[in-house]
Amino acid sequence: MLNPILSFSATRRMRSFKTLLIAAAYVVVMLAVTLLIMGRIFGNEATFYSIRNSVTCYQAQMVTQFILILLIAPAMTSGAIAGERERQTLELLLVTNTRSFRIVIGKAMESFAMLALLIVCGFPVMCLTMVAGAVTLPQILIGELFLLLIAFASVSVGVFSSTLARSTVASGVISYLILLAIGGLTLIPLIMDFPVEVTSVVYDTSSLAALAPGDALKMISPVLLCNPGYALIALLHGQTGMLTSTMEYREIGRLLCEFRLMDKAGGETLALISCGIILVLAVLLLLAAGFLLRKNSLKPAKRTK
Amino acid sequence: MLSLEKLTKKYGDFTALNGLSLEIADGQLHGFVGPNGAGKTTTMRILATLLKPTSGTATIDGVDVVRNGTEARRLIGYMPDFFGVYDSLKCWEYLDFYARCYRIPSADRKKMTERLLDLVQLSEKKDAFVDSLSRGMKQRLCLARSLIHDPKLLILDEPASGMDPRARAEMKTILRTLREMGKTVLISSHILPELSEMCDSLTILDHGQLVFSGSVEALSEKMNGNAPLEIRLQEGCGEAAVDTAVACLKELPFVKEILQEGTCVLKVRTEGGEAEHMQMLREMISRNIPVCDFHRAPMNLEKVFMEVTGDA
Repeated sequence: MLNPILSFSATRRMRSFKTLLIAAAYVVVMLAVTLLIMGRIFGNEATFYSIRNSVTCYQAQMVTQFILILLIAPAMTSGAIAGERERQTLELLLVTNTRSFRIVIGKAMESFAMLALLIVCGFPVMCLTMVAGAVTLPQILIGELFLLLIAFASVSVGVFSSTLARSTVASGVISYLILLAIGGLTLIPLIMDFPVEVTSVVYDTSSLAALAPGDALKMISPVLLCNPGYALIALLHGQTGMLTSTMEYREIGRLLCEFRLMDKAGGETLALISCGIILVLAVLLLLAAGFLLRKNSLKPAKRTK
Repeated sequence: MLSLEKLTKKYGDFTALNGLSLEIADGQLHGFVGPNGAGKTTTMRILATLLKPTSGTATIDGVDVVRNGTEARRLIGYMPDFFGVYDSLKCWEYLDFYARCYRIPSADRKKMTERLLDLVQLSEKKDAFVDSLSRGMKQRLCLARSLIHDPKLLILDEPASGMDPRARAEMKTILRTLREMGKTVLISSHILPELSEMCDSLTILDHGQLVFSGSVEALSEKMNGNAPLEIRLQEGCGEAAVDTAVACLKELPFVKEILQEGTCVLKVRTEGGEAEHMQMLREMISRNIPVCDFHRAPMNLEKVFMEVTGDA
């Protein structure tokens, strides 16, 4: 039997005119970004310039969607549990013997389905980048899968916050703070110095050139791999060689060394590892939400008759 | 069906429920009465497994609600004192949603939904959106929701609050039907007369403590035993006659309290029974006090409620 919370929440969401507006706005933003970059090559013959432009466009589309998902997901999921609490329907759900985890999964899947719908709506717009022949369908599909994973992770943060918070507004604020904290704290390795054994390799061009991918992977901080932004850059670098131009810079800074390590380890490999870590963290958050739901929900709440 | 033993719930220093013990038999429509803050909702929330008691036990059909919440939830249908309805859902979808939450097979869901909508007289509103219903209709829909898994015990927290007289009458009819169906119903209200009309038995709570538990008749009998004697003197008898009567009554050792109502009615509280009352009447007649009427003042349930909850 399909999770009733998923099916009925989806029914209610799809009946709302707001859903249509969100989907339309998402596609409009995607189209605007696409036309801004690609507009110059439509109607012209394919040139190296237009090929380069379509790659840039794909990268811009991915970054735009990445940002949109991180912005939309907390707002969309903030009411998942907190809304039920405000509407006073959560107690009624808990009395039905529905397991807390089933409620959490139902709510998370419903929000995820909505984000997945947005991503799918953006798919035809992404396919426009194939016009110049620089981006392939499998690459776009991998990009879409990556965005789905980011959507799932953002939803899990939103549902977790919604389980903790007493109101939808508080839940939204907590979600954004958690996402900011994850984004910020996992970038800390970038402002720290490399360990000595790494420094001797990464700041020396010849040693770096001789570095094996496996060894490069070991030198990358696992904390950095938890950063969704890092995963996105790794994926785009793996797919399109996004950071290749930076490899030619003579001056080797901390950030540039990190890019070179990424290049050595393989962008797609890093993105895959990063996605695995993010997926595990997202599942752990949902498990925590399921565990906390009944405990947190039975505290006396403010009531509005 | 329902047994509470020394049930206590404390919130810090505040005791919401203080050692409540109670037994409710199968198939009873039991009223739970008390002023606001008496502990009715706390008791009901404990029974609905939404609160854990500080101490004491509560069992439903032999199932401990604290230790075996999952099993207890199958036995109860809970309707809180708020609607808890979703907008953007039709009435049948609302019931179907809860039926699915209770994992009722799809073959039975449709039949059950239609039967319950019929029971709560909402068949015509089957395809109407929940947020378009009136307050009374929403309340009835919530009642249908609490019945969706065919529970043995129904816990209804102030189901008639905020309803107009017609909606209240409809709710009463439905509750009587449920009793005929053999359901045990625990229903709370802070209005005693409202419950006394439909309940088989009553429990009165005040400040978290049991004040009375028994049949409506037993409650009336008990309270009438404490009711004052009403003595009416002849119309226009004058102040002198009233003063004589009061002086006469004050001489009697078993008279506790004398209240004058209007110009010629006295209400007298006494210790003792019929013998003392006969003596009182004899004394008054022997002193030529013009007694026209001498009877125990009937207590209506509103007065009973005020009396037992100490706010008279």
